[in-house]
Amino acid sequence: MSAGDSTELDELRQVVREFLRERSASSEVRRLMEAGESRDDAVWSLLSGQLGLTGIAVPERFGGAGYGPAELGIVLEEMGAALLVAPYFATVALAGQALTASGDEEAMARWLPGIADGSLTATLAVGEESGSWDLAEVAATAVPTGAAGDGWSVTGTKLFVIDGHTADLLLVVAQAPDGPGLFAVERGAAGLATARLDALDLTRALASVTLDGTPVVRLSVGRDSAGRDSAGRDSVGRDTADWLSAVTDLAVAALAAEQLGGAARCLDMAVGYAKVRQQFGRPIGSFQAIKHKCANLLLEVECGRSAVYHANEALADRQPDAALAAVLAYAYCSQAFTHAAKECIQIHGGIGYTWEHDAHLYLRRAKSSELLFGPPARQRTRLAELAGI
Amino acid sequence: MTLEREADVTVPEPDDAFRARLREFLTLHHPGRPPKDPRERLPWTKGWLATLFDHGYAGPSWPREFGGMELSFAHQMVYTEEMARARVPGPLGTGLNIAAPTIIKYGSQQQKERWLAPMLRGDLVWVQGYSEPEAGSDLPSLRTTARREGDEYVVNGQKVWTSHGADGDVIFALVRTGTRESRQKGISYLIIDAHAPGVQVRPLRDLTGGHLFAEIFFDDVRVPVADRVGDENDGWRLARTSLGHERAAGALLQAANYRRVLTELEELARERGQLTDPLVRDRFVDLEIRVRIIRFNAERTIGGILARGDAGAASSVSRLLITAFEQDIHEFAVDLLGPAGLLGKSAPQAVQRSRWLLGFLRTRASTIGAGTTEIQLNTVAEQVLGLPHDPGMPPR
Repeated sequence: MSAGDSTELDELRQVVREFLRERSASSEVRRLMEAGESRDDAVWSLLSGQLGLTGIAVPERFGGAGYGPAELGIVLEEMGAALLVAPYFATVALAGQALTASGDEEAMARWLPGIADGSLTATLAVGEESGSWDLAEVAATAVPTGAAGDGWSVTGTKLFVIDGHTADLLLVVAQAPDGPGLFAVERGAAGLATARLDALDLTRALASVTLDGTPVVRLSVGRDSAGRDSAGRDSVGRDTADWLSAVTDLAVAALAAEQLGGAARCLDMAVGYAKVRQQFGRPIGSFQAIKHKCANLLLEVECGRSAVYHANEALADRQPDAALAAVLAYAYCSQAFTHAAKECIQIHGGIGYTWEHDAHLYLRRAKSSELLFGPPARQRTRLAELAGI
Repeated sequence: MTLEREADVTVPEPDDAFRARLREFLTLHHPGRPPKDPRERLPWTKGWLATLFDHGYAGPSWPREFGGMELSFAHQMVYTEEMARARVPGPLGTGLNIAAPTIIKYGSQQQKERWLAPMLRGDLVWVQGYSEPEAGSDLPSLRTTARREGDEYVVNGQKVWTSHGADGDVIFALVRTGTRESRQKGISYLIIDAHAPGVQVRPLRDLTGGHLFAEIFFDDVRVPVADRVGDENDGWRLARTSLGHERAAGALLQAANYRRVLTELEELARERGQLTDPLVRDRFVDLEIRVRIIRFNAERTIGGILARGDAGAASSVSRLLITAFEQDIHEFAVDLLGPAGLLGKSAPQAVQRSRWLLGFLRTRASTIGAGTTEIQLNTVAEQVLGLPHDPGMPPR
């Protein structure tokens, strides 16, 4: 059976949904949005402490609950539905999973406990001008420093970094002399400048991150301290590519779960309105033109749900089709969410076009999520490759 | 908060004893390839259905009392998979899927004993008499009348779009026993002998040029009152019975079938050197996403049934998804072939015996038959989303 449908996951869903209903209502989302805040400290403290949500996908030995993509997906689905303003996706879905996937024990021991208990926020910075997560498009460079040659510094500019201007820890991909590598830098480091970008999504910030000879820590991605993999090969760059590929799969599946939640909420809003809005002396939801729009959205939400639950189950169990399932879920949910957000505005009519109505917040999140990891056509190309087309 | 992983509920593995037994039976009794001569196909199929029945391998969901297997839902899935794998013919007519659930639930003991086993064994082919020329989507307006005369009804009217009508022995029909305006409240469920005097079956030539459907005319056809299922004027409610979750199994079967069809189309495009065209590839990506989601939906539906006894919302939309998919894949294939896609199967240059062109034509029916897409969207909107009924339309 599909991940996302079991009784235990239903319980998790209910707990998160109830929490967000109380603590992340539309008025609260708007308060944080207007103030340009990245989170409400009290809410963050509750969701990380009392609910343990920041630690859900962190291994137990680093203070987490040790669950995986299926459980994380449920949490993100609910957060996407509520448009929670918090650096959860960046910290937990991106940085947390990226650290865990690196296999660097020292780095994990240093930062994962903070992610798990909510005391540390983090993000992952890969894309630059194109926003693409393709290593070939990474121009930032890393050079060895210090007399012993065991230190590193990075120079370059990362763009579209989710919550990059507030993150305590930034994981940065850069080109080292021996190939691409993963580097960590904490807020306040010399030569590190971050700024929020003026961008479409008002409830999740994108930032530019500039490093100018910034001292960083190099993570050993799937290799020993001598820079060799388990087979003894010097395969630093290869390892980074494998790591990034695995992290991308986890990231797009996580984002797809969030998109699913957003799409389902748009459908709920549209249906709720269609039942009460009266025109021509009857609820507009009694007209076939509206019914058909809503039923078609339901079809897309249900298909997205099947795709997301399958992907997260496949990732959790490391099934052979996991990568394909993840990209498929993301490609499908990208379109479904944007479609749902647009139809939500259309069904609401004039009121849906106002600033005060939440519909545009979902459209902003939807279009933004669709493009976060590069143009959608690239996802489809990758899907074709994975499917052997 | 505590979370515990739940053991996955899955269809039993291939080493399951039931699957092994079924596989052995299918190997031993397989009917072979269908005969070339279309006239030999009906007796050939009937022979196979009788073999299944006589060995206790017919009617996976049916009660044992009437010759069925009364399998658990998980074993029904195994049964469906193995039958598809063996590529043996399915049931004849539409009685097994549509009429039998109603008869099992509402028929008298005598009716069940008389009708069910011969239907299951394929001795008698049951066909449907619902749609009429003036009653398509608005089926409750149907006009075929059944006038009571003593212990008989006298039936007059016309039915249309009866699948396999020309092979039918028995017609399960909806007829008007109430007033002309009685709509759903004046419809009865009547079982009519297709060979009775006054019944005339005419093949209907559809837009493909084929004769899958028939029209049926009733001219003073006398039907015993004892052949009515349920109470007089209660037929509408009865006709909407289904045996629970059989559709989910069907959806999984269709998912597997269309997976195969899409792979065959990809191979064709590869052979023709068309897969390097980015526009062609993108169309394939679209179909690839959809064909996989059809399977994920079916699996999620089945998972829900196994775990909670509830098919959930995914099942309500699966047919909409599949019908649109089967139209799109055939049209895309025809486009892909260019002018060669226009050739009929007797043209020497026809590609794959013109299967894609025939599919393009045939699947026009996908979004019409058994409820048009438009009506299904209405149903989903009202029954799943709870949107209000159109006040300008008669009550449901």
